Amino acid sequence: MRFDQIWFRYARRAPWTLEAVDAAVHPGETIVVLGRNGAGKSTLLQLAAGVLRPTRGAVRDRPRVIGWVPERFPADQPFTAGQYLTRMAAVRGLRGVAEVDHWVERLMLTEHVHTRLAELSKGTAQKVGLAQALLVTPGLLVLDEPWEGLDAVARTLIPEIVAEVTAAGGAVLVSDHRGEIAGLAGAIRWTVADATVRPETAGLIHPQSAGPARLESAGPVPDEVVVEVAVRRAEAEAAVAKLQADGHRVLGVRESAGVVGPGGAWDGALGEAAGVREPSGEGWER
Amino acid sequence: MIALVRMRLAGFVRSGRALAPIILGLVVLGVIYGGGSSLAGPAFGYSAALLFPVLAWQTKLILDAEPDVQRRLARLTVGAGREAAAGVLAALVSGLAFCFVAMLAPWPFGAIRGPLPGTAEPSMATGVALGVLAHLLALAAALGLGASASRAVTRKVRNGLTVLIVGAVLTVVLGLKGSVAPWLVPPVMATARALNADPLPPSGTFLLLTAWAAAWCAVALGGYGWLRRRRS
Repeated sequence: MRFDQIWFRYARRAPWTLEAVDAAVHPGETIVVLGRNGAGKSTLLQLAAGVLRPTRGAVRDRPRVIGWVPERFPADQPFTAGQYLTRMAAVRGLRGVAEVDHWVERLMLTEHVHTRLAELSKGTAQKVGLAQALLVTPGLLVLDEPWEGLDAVARTLIPEIVAEVTAAGGAVLVSDHRGEIAGLAGAIRWTVADATVRPETAGLIHPQSAGPARLESAGPVPDEVVVEVAVRRAEAEAAVAKLQADGHRVLGVRESAGVVGPGGAWDGALGEAAGVREPSGEGWER
Repeated sequence: MIALVRMRLAGFVRSGRALAPIILGLVVLGVIYGGGSSLAGPAFGYSAALLFPVLAWQTKLILDAEPDVQRRLARLTVGAGREAAAGVLAALVSGLAFCFVAMLAPWPFGAIRGPLPGTAEPSMATGVALGVLAHLLALAAALGLGASASRAVTRKVRNGLTVLIVGAVLTVVLGLKGSVAPWLVPPVMATARALNADPLPPSGTFLLLTAWAAAWCAVALGGYGWLRRRRS
């Protein structure tokens, strides 16, 4: 699937949300779309899915079966979770409820099957949204912040499902501003900022193929302060990704407390473990 | 697409949104058939004309019942054209059921009668047949107006209500006898007048009314489809 010079804005005189986007998604790829709130991640995903039409340009070679998990599942519907999924299966042309049963069980929705959608918790409603997108194996799975509201156990299912879709030849686009991308092995990173999409070959989360991303130079930038954050070792990679996705500059990763930046310490092993490598910017000292 | 139509009808009924137009429609029918009896043709002509705005409102309610995000999910699933058609089809099915009730309503109350002996009044069968036609023409017009007023194309509640109310009022005002531009609106009033005429107009008149209503409905639904494509 290819974004061919996509321009998009929500109203005639509104500023462009996306400008001249050229990018491609290939079968078997997982693309993680990063960016600040309001940068245009959801817009890009909806353009990919076909929910939105580009103002200019076109999305070409879109797969026939699309699975879209919206950022907010439309729970204001007078159905139970089971009724909704059964009806959506019928809309997708499925006969019987085998697929519904499979995803209800897999996503741990069994006890909520008879609960009205409006009464589901946010996370459970999100699972229903995920289930409806997977009733038929999609050629393109679009996940808009799929981790929102999910509990820890359910969050681990996302990488599994993504891997299954890509293994079946599908592509996956997933937006993430929570830094959960660490679980998506082999993913490619796109950053949405300033109405442009920047596919990055040096992805934080794709070390085996692209190598780690560079740390930002620690040179002085006006209006910036340095905030030190301590995270668990196992969560370092996700924390770095989240901070960078939120538009912050990550200056370093190190073992012990102390000032980082000019004159600060750099822990190479930790940095590599977190998917980042030593900065070469001016002002750093070993 | 049939599954989507069924899902939308189920959502419309289960959500309770179906109740308001049904109650209003029954009140309208009660007023029409509440006192005395009249010939079938004129009675059904009034019924169709008065139910037109109710049917248009019901169409809008059906098309608006689904959350916007769910409508987009449906579009991804069945395609844009089928998704839009499924909404109109759901409204058509619901409207046909309404018209069926409207056609049955006068019978229990003895509110319609056949021709008086020794008069040239049209037969009961003719009156019923013309009544069915009048309701179908009103329904076609209502589908066009209701779809044009739906949230998917008007986006804002205020805009949708404005389209619905102004459309219904213009249909009456521009449909009055002697109107300067009767062709701008569907022939709801013209059909009611035709059914009340004594003697009945020739069959060609009803063919013309049918073509007029069909053309109006096609234009309105064509505009609806075009706007749906543009406002995805």
